[in-house]
Amino acid sequence: MCALLQVKNVEKTYKMGKVLVPALRGVTFDVEEGEFLAILGPSGSGKSTLLHIIGGLDRPSEGEVLIDDINLYRLSDNKLAEIRLHKVGFVFQFFNLLPRLTALKNVELPSALADDSEKKSVEKAKRMLKLVGLEERINHRPSELSGGEQQRVAIARALINSPKIALADEPTGNLDAKTGWEVVQLMKKLNKEKRQTFVIITHDPSIAETADRIIHLKDGLIEGIKKAPRRNTQ
Amino acid sequence: MKSSRILTMAWENMTQRKLRTSLTTLGVVIGITAIIGLASLGEGFRLEIRHIMQTGFELDNLTIIPGSLFAGMSRDRFTDAQIQEISEAPGVKVVTGIMQFGNVTLYNGNKTVKAFVATAVNFTEFAQIFPDRFVFANHPPPEYKNDTVVIGHRVNYPIGNELEPFAVANDTIILTLGILLQSPIPHYEMQNHTFTVGGTLLKTGTPGITNFDYWIFIPIETARKIYATQESDLIFAKVNSPEESEKIAEDIEALFPFKITILVPLTLIRQVDNILNIVQMFLMAIASISLLVSGIGIMNIMTVSVMERTREIGILKAIGATSRTVLTMFLSEAILIGLMGGLMGVFTGYGSSYALAYVLSRFIQPQQQDTIFQTPETQRMAINPAFSPEWTIVALIFAIIVCIIFGLYPARKAAKLDPLEALRYE
Repeated sequence: MCALLQVKNVEKTYKMGKVLVPALRGVTFDVEEGEFLAILGPSGSGKSTLLHIIGGLDRPSEGEVLIDDINLYRLSDNKLAEIRLHKVGFVFQFFNLLPRLTALKNVELPSALADDSEKKSVEKAKRMLKLVGLEERINHRPSELSGGEQQRVAIARALINSPKIALADEPTGNLDAKTGWEVVQLMKKLNKEKRQTFVIITHDPSIAETADRIIHLKDGLIEGIKKAPRRNTQ
Repeated sequence: MKSSRILTMAWENMTQRKLRTSLTTLGVVIGITAIIGLASLGEGFRLEIRHIMQTGFELDNLTIIPGSLFAGMSRDRFTDAQIQEISEAPGVKVVTGIMQFGNVTLYNGNKTVKAFVATAVNFTEFAQIFPDRFVFANHPPPEYKNDTVVIGHRVNYPIGNELEPFAVANDTIILTLGILLQSPIPHYEMQNHTFTVGGTLLKTGTPGITNFDYWIFIPIETARKIYATQESDLIFAKVNSPEESEKIAEDIEALFPFKITILVPLTLIRQVDNILNIVQMFLMAIASISLLVSGIGIMNIMTVSVMERTREIGILKAIGATSRTVLTMFLSEAILIGLMGGLMGVFTGYGSSYALAYVLSRFIQPQQQDTIFQTPETQRMAINPAFSPEWTIVALIFAIIVCIIFGLYPARKAAKLDPLEALRYE
């Protein structure tokens, strides 16, 4: 059986004026269902670009990405949007919640986009917010929530459509160490209890080490892949 | 995404930017107010004019003139045989030939008045053709004799002398008529004739082509004796119905090709109606410009809004919104603005047209002069705005279409945004 996510020889080159800047120079790896994978690398190593390409936000210059055996970059933009809606959930460094909407409405959005009825999406959103421990704050707007709470809302939003794979781009990058740790623990918990596949990007080795597997990225190339040592995360 | 939820989202977006939304909507309101106001006032104006003309020109009466209306002074005249022929045409009810003389002065003792025209008629037929206007004031029709004269209201009560009549029934008066004699050379001669007053007509007034208030009537048999002729100057014909009048007129014209002119009131009214239609369309076109201007306002506001919300659009697209969903979201806002502005504009449009009609009527009322051009009917003219469901629907659809057209560019701009670039937008 094939892996849930297959990244095959992905290259990405940006054009800065007349200069071609390679961001990814041939990256290949798989992610199995239920896995918690960390991509570790210094800034400029191409890890954010890689995550965007995995999630169907950015087309690679070369190579293929398959989720559930669907070759993403053979799809039209609209089909790609549907993949982002149903198969992928994004968690961003800067949360990217809609400031006008309450936590509940933010979490509801992907469900509403997926044509769920209002009743159903509200129900789902409430369940998700309970799962991330925010059932008391569903009617708060992002500006009324702490950074950690906002990131929990973002996680709830990412997972409401039960995506095959959740992608987190520096999820702790905008949080203090303690809160960041709590957010990572939440993701670990969801990974364990719901068998939710996670790919997270970080430059923080201590966070990377909570993962099942770590991919070291440097200058657009995989420097090494290692299984993280089992450690007591409790 | 379900369209009902997109609409809800669009509505929430708009209510969170109340000032901006209401200003944008105001543009549409003004545009639709102008369109509806002008349409309703114009339609009311048209209906009023049509009403005045219908009372002025008896729609089932044809006026038949020998020759062309503009052929000069010397005219052909109608023989009794021709009148007979016309009366036998299908659809014709009553036909009467008349003679007319200008330059009429009436003397009653030492009192003198002038009449616009003296008309020689067959009283019985004439009363059948003008049942609403050939009506006697205060008493039943007199017994018609050879020397009977019937006097129009204004002739008997000239302006400035409203109280004392010039003559009453059975007064003997002298009429001075100008008569065109052909020998030895064509010349006018003034002749005096004695008549007995049969009665005075009711004040009718009319903006039509014949105003009996300024006329006097004498028997046609007597006039024929005076003028030594058996012919008539023109013919009035009453037809079965106004709707058939144009067809009947054509048939009569076919009896005398190129020899007669028939004035068909329906045709005149239709032409005036057409002119008013064109004027109304022109006014509407001007009003539509204001709606176009508000459309540009919508485009402007929405373009700014798309820029402001670039990040939001990026987030929506990143979590899986398709371009179509984003397009629909922005278009929904435009449509809602069009719908709200249109509905409000319909209300204010009708409201302002009623207010304006009231003010205009006030301006028209105070003029009390009674001249041949300003008969009581023209003074009474009041514009009642007309409510037209068709215009209401057309205006609403127009408002929404304008909003869609001008909202399309910014909405497409939003839909085409690249999610990653939009996310990075500060």
